[in-house]
Amino acid sequence: MSAHAAAPPTVSYVLTDEQRQLQEMVRDLFAQRAAPDRVREVMLAETPGYDDALWQELANYGLLGLTIPEAHGGSGASFAELAIVLEEAGRRLAPVPLLSSAVLGTEAVLGGATEAQAAALLPGVAAGTTRLALAHLDLGGDLLAAPGVVASRDGATWHLDGTAAYVIDGASATHLVVAARAGDDLELFVVPGDAPGVSRTPVEVLDLTRPLATVEFAGVEVAEEDRLAGGPAMAALHRALTAGVVAIAVEQVGGTAHTLEACTAYARDRIQFGRAIGSFQAVKHRLAELLVELESARSAAIHAARVLAAGEREELAIAAPLAKSYCSEVYERSAADGIQLFGGIGFTWEHDQHLYLKRAKSTKLLLGDPKHHRALLGELLAL
Amino acid sequence: MKVVVPVKRTPDTAGEKVIDADSLTVDREAGESVLCPVNEFSIEEAVRLKEKHGAEVTVLVVGPEEAQPTVRKALSYGLDAGLQITDEAIAGSDALGTARVIAAALEATEFDLVVFGGQSTDARTSLVPAAVAELLGLPSLTYTRYLEVDGETITVHREHEEGWDVVTASLPAVVSVVEAINEPRYPSFKGIMAAKSKPLETKSLADLGVSADEVGAGAASATMYEFAPRPPKEAGTVIEDDGSGAAAAQLADWLVEKKFV
Repeated sequence: MSAHAAAPPTVSYVLTDEQRQLQEMVRDLFAQRAAPDRVREVMLAETPGYDDALWQELANYGLLGLTIPEAHGGSGASFAELAIVLEEAGRRLAPVPLLSSAVLGTEAVLGGATEAQAAALLPGVAAGTTRLALAHLDLGGDLLAAPGVVASRDGATWHLDGTAAYVIDGASATHLVVAARAGDDLELFVVPGDAPGVSRTPVEVLDLTRPLATVEFAGVEVAEEDRLAGGPAMAALHRALTAGVVAIAVEQVGGTAHTLEACTAYARDRIQFGRAIGSFQAVKHRLAELLVELESARSAAIHAARVLAAGEREELAIAAPLAKSYCSEVYERSAADGIQLFGGIGFTWEHDQHLYLKRAKSTKLLLGDPKHHRALLGELLAL
Repeated sequence: MKVVVPVKRTPDTAGEKVIDADSLTVDREAGESVLCPVNEFSIEEAVRLKEKHGAEVTVLVVGPEEAQPTVRKALSYGLDAGLQITDEAIAGSDALGTARVIAAALEATEFDLVVFGGQSTDARTSLVPAAVAELLGLPSLTYTRYLEVDGETITVHREHEEGWDVVTASLPAVVSVVEAINEPRYPSFKGIMAAKSKPLETKSLADLGVSADEVGAGAASATMYEFAPRPPKEAGTVIEDDGSGAAAAQLADWLVEKKFV
């Protein structure tokens, strides 16, 4: 038996009064501002690829810098609060770059930047004027492979060459946090999205509410002071990706919760053969099973978010892949079941359920599929 | 300038209201209680006065100890301080009794402007703001859909069926606002976190010098003797068309009988 199993629980899963108020507030905010019509309008527009009005509003309410220290313009809260926002955003498929900027980008900077670099970058992130995207994958998208970008140094200047694939919100971000190979090392660079030599091409995606881009670097010049120099880049990248994994799991819980609520309401409402379809065992048992799975997924995701917030790295190493693998499968199953439960209307473009199915499918693969995370767990737990 | 925003703790608007058979009042334990939604508009207006004129805003609640989350919720919008009037004798007060308590609380407070919501979502009397103004001998500006403060005067647009009147009064004054006045914002994360550390004062009737005889169910001008749930809707008249054309005549007769035509 490994050591973690005996460790006493040190994090609370109960929301504080303030956290409950935050949840209430963001749930209502997303319900108002990310209504289905608005989500579709944003996802079908070519630019800017996210809802800028909502983004600014989130900034005004202090929700974009929840994990950023107050000294750098943030709220100095924790990932527990950010997780509340992410779950509610996931519930509405809110088309805003929270995952890319507030999670992946912010965590990479928090983990890798010097104080001066953090002070220069993070106030803009908290204010919503700087939107970060993390470029770390090669063309194959393999998490374990080296990044597709190579950095070579020439005095105080670096040159970046190569291609980063599947960059979340890569086309709309103001700044890219680029993971690049430098000899045998890994380095992280902060590069303006419109720097000379950077070309960004939107990728055709299944989930239109979350754009991806391929970013090519052709001799992009980066000054040495834009190389994150506050700590080992590999550790910073790992920190960002782990936070990303937990963020996705939490978001998946939000999407699953929405699906269950919408399906249950429909099952009460929809009359067939003279009675509400929810009275048929085939329907109600499916909903009951969904509820059990949702609650298990929620426990896994909240546990991961809380140990991340508490900085319990050993437990997080297990909690994150556990949450991501389980929540991915629950979300996919519930979203697919939702299509069935809604019957004929569930198959139409006009109904929103397919948007949830697509989000479920895309997030299942994002930052490692369940198989990848189970393999990690297997190694860690020596199974 | 100093602004007071009286707010009300009401049963959740979306929930079902239950009347307690013994006390014949709304059973507040039966469902969740919330900050009355109309107060989001009066609070927003106060926040705007704060932004524009640097107003210092106090939120005032009359209610039992359990009403404290309502005060904190109101403070989370960025208001400065809370004042809660708690006394068992207040329970069951009607609009006038409530107005007496609020007026006494205001008399013990320094203020230039009182901003009420227009009509609470539970009692819906709209009486309290005007009663408070009358008790204090201050200008009463109701149905306010726009307000502007300039030095010692306040100008409001007072809504009515045909449009609105422009009404000016000197401060201090009492206004009540309609929902058209603004689009309330949400509390910010910082506001939520700061609400707990804002000063909150609690006073009793004795502190205000109000006699328990003037308030509460005993002093109410109307007495509730009994209540009954609303009777279920009766089935309407069904006229069936058998193809003979008689249905049209029946329908016409029915419309005449009901004086629709």
